Amino acid sequence: MKIVGKRVERIDAEAKATGRMIYPSDRRLDGMLWVEVVRSAHPHARILSIDTRQAEAVDGVVRVLTARDVPGENAFGIQIQDMPVLCFDRVRYEGDAIALIGAENRQAAREAAALVQVEYEVLEPLTDPDEAMRPGAVALHPDGNILHEGHFNKGDIAEGFARSSVIFENTYEVPMMDHAYLETEAGISYYGEDGTLTVESCGQYIYRDQTQIARALGLSLGEVRVTAPYVGGAFGGKDEITVQIYLALMTYHTRRPAKMVATREESIISHTKRHPARMRFKTGASKSGKLMAVEAYIVSDTGAYASLGGPVLNLMMEHAAGPYLVPNVKVDAYAVYTNNGFSGAFRGFGCTQVCVAIESQMDLMARALKRDRLAFRQDNILHQGDMAGLDYEMKLVVGAEDTIRAARKGKLWRKRKSNRKIPSRVSPSVARHRKRGIGVASQMQGLGLGVGIPDYAEVEVELTRDGKAIAKASTNEIGQGAYTAYAQMTAERLGIDLEQVEIIGADTGVTPDSGTTTASRTTYAVGNAILMTVDKLEKRLAERAGEKTGRLRGGVLCCPSRQVPLGELIDGPSITVRATFHIPVQDREMGDGLPHLLYSYGTHVVLVEVDTLTGEISVEAIEAYLDGGRVIFRTGFEGQSEGGIAQGIGYALFEEVLLNEGHFENTNFNTYIIPSSMDVPVKIKTVPVQVKEASGPYGAKGISETCMVGVTPAILNALQDAIGVRFLRIPVRAEDVLDALEVDEK
Amino acid sequence: MKIDVGLLINGTEARFEVEPDERLVDTLREKAGMTGTKIGCGMGECGACSVLMNGKLVPSCLVLTASADGAEIVTVEGLAADGRLSDLQQAFVEEGAIQCGYCTPGMLMAGEYLLSRYKRPTTDQIRNGIAGNLCRCTGYAKIVSAIRKTARKRAVKRSGR
Repeated sequence: MKIVGKRVERIDAEAKATGRMIYPSDRRLDGMLWVEVVRSAHPHARILSIDTRQAEAVDGVVRVLTARDVPGENAFGIQIQDMPVLCFDRVRYEGDAIALIGAENRQAAREAAALVQVEYEVLEPLTDPDEAMRPGAVALHPDGNILHEGHFNKGDIAEGFARSSVIFENTYEVPMMDHAYLETEAGISYYGEDGTLTVESCGQYIYRDQTQIARALGLSLGEVRVTAPYVGGAFGGKDEITVQIYLALMTYHTRRPAKMVATREESIISHTKRHPARMRFKTGASKSGKLMAVEAYIVSDTGAYASLGGPVLNLMMEHAAGPYLVPNVKVDAYAVYTNNGFSGAFRGFGCTQVCVAIESQMDLMARALKRDRLAFRQDNILHQGDMAGLDYEMKLVVGAEDTIRAARKGKLWRKRKSNRKIPSRVSPSVARHRKRGIGVASQMQGLGLGVGIPDYAEVEVELTRDGKAIAKASTNEIGQGAYTAYAQMTAERLGIDLEQVEIIGADTGVTPDSGTTTASRTTYAVGNAILMTVDKLEKRLAERAGEKTGRLRGGVLCCPSRQVPLGELIDGPSITVRATFHIPVQDREMGDGLPHLLYSYGTHVVLVEVDTLTGEISVEAIEAYLDGGRVIFRTGFEGQSEGGIAQGIGYALFEEVLLNEGHFENTNFNTYIIPSSMDVPVKIKTVPVQVKEASGPYGAKGISETCMVGVTPAILNALQDAIGVRFLRIPVRAEDVLDALEVDEK
Repeated sequence: MKIDVGLLINGTEARFEVEPDERLVDTLREKAGMTGTKIGCGMGECGACSVLMNGKLVPSCLVLTASADGAEIVTVEGLAADGRLSDLQQAFVEEGAIQCGYCTPGMLMAGEYLLSRYKRPTTDQIRNGIAGNLCRCTGYAKIVSAIRKTARKRAVKRSGR
């Protein structure tokens, strides 16, 4: 391999390093209006009246829109359209939109937004999912408050516990988490020269955005164009509609370009979050260290609207038993509507939550059995052909054990005894209060959308007479480095230099439908589709050359008997071919997107230090052993891992969106704290465990989620190793450490 | 009431008519057309809007343009000379310190500032120096190495003279 697997420079790095890259929030057009959204003042209320007259009178205001100005269906949502574009009778969370202001400048738009008079009948907010589930609770939606539930049984759970010699039962609580991408939701809209209503924005699936915009505006798909090539971070938080329909509505009604950029406060209040969840896990293992039973009862708080709350719950169930072979499994899970914001996709997509629970339980059982914690995991690990937690076969190659083996060889684990000692450079009087611990966690993460949900990638490759290639895909570059990986695979396959490849991304007017930029899927799916297009190209060119076969190498078609320059085979400036790759799925559907056929795997090893006087926790070192198949873009692979580690630290130790009776309390970075450079260790090592996936492009899968999921429980397990305390709730903060140690002393 | 303000932006003099409460970041982005400087939080917490003002690192969302009259401003657009990346920009590209890239301009300005303060910064000085600049993609490791690499190169260059 000349290009695949190498540390190439990102194809977009120079534009980003010079400030030339234009992000959605940077776009501006002559004559554009600024859009501001009037959002609900209450997490739960009936709207009695909306008076926009004062707002309309503000100098510079061009248009104020309310629900009656939504020409199509006043509803959106990825799976179920239960969320009003503009609310008219009821609001269900603090971010609900009621009116849109379009003004000549942002100041006027803001001034007007504050002047829209909404008369409410304030209702008691439903903030406890357990209460919301109870019969008789006020229904937030016509079908009640349970959005989705799932019940699975494998084996006989009672028998499993009867045969266990160690049993632990704990209830874990994980918080609502914000994606905290640095660029808030933003975009512009305008009528293109051909009359299409164009929205240049930040969504993670432009074709679905096109559908959602067209539906709300009562337009045909062809009348709407959506683009979103380069976006300032997403992590799932821009999967659902954010600004797109608002922008389209304003341009539709005024015929003028419009721009919207959410403030950070608005971003945190309005967009989807990681689901907070309460998870009761009971697990048992035999004396000989075999996992016998996993029983999970999960309540996921999906907030005001569905978004992807159902599929996220499905992934919680799918991954509840971890990457382990468990004969007896019982899972009961509910996704429940409340007035607590609204939740949806976020890196890990449900796995993140349950991994905290199952990996904590694994540690407790290993300790009770006096087993080596890595060995206990390895002894129970899933292999190809095994039946996974929900009783379906792991049909493809499973790299879980490989990641454990690799972790065992790493410095952190191998020298764990000395790593646990406070370094001698620390003075004894200080060292006395410091404790160190090592933690591990293993996990698997489904790749793609799972069985039952259309999951394909169509791409177009254009090959020019002089051998250059342009690959077009509708997925976007949200920081993950996918466009560079596409360029590498295209160049490798065509035998040309990376510089000879151009990637055109995310424009419904130009790029075919390559699916969502989520679910660790783009390198795998788009990569496969690119390889298919080149196969097709070679076939077509060989036919033109009158040869049976031909292989493209550096602008030449290499046929069995001769080499034909492309100039002789391509009449016009170029030849264009499209191909569609369908992500393979399980043959049995157990629920929406449930289960998966493809998984990525990982094991994390963490060293933490705790100051028992202050309660301060410091993550000193992390090693990540990740199997996402063959690595395509080495630097990007490491970068993803390092970023996932930072987010895993944030989830474990800092981050929690605080809600008080449905009101958001920490809505900017002064109170919603994400890890800074001081909170992430210098000692980070990412080791690619490259178990080749036969169905992957060059053997690749994806790691953009698995790189984060195990970090949080590994930290919790390291804390137990350091101070002997099992934390059941995250984030664990200094005061929690002190409280726990105090209880311990008494 | 509009105020007439003169700034020296990346070596070029520019004059703006600004409102008293106009933020420097908006003058740069909306009036000077320099969108390299980003806005992440609007309250000086994230560092995406960092620029150098008279040689000091400032969050340009907390600076009123009217108060900056006569100031020398360096933004990310002022780092590359004659179409060639600066050594720090080049190191960011080579080390993989850029992912979504939205924090990159501010991060580069923070990097330049700390390199102006420390000739041979330690890793902790680098981490401290960028602690006011949030990045959600990279985990900071490659940003720290890019700055360290640049410091080393500059030291070699200096000693070679």
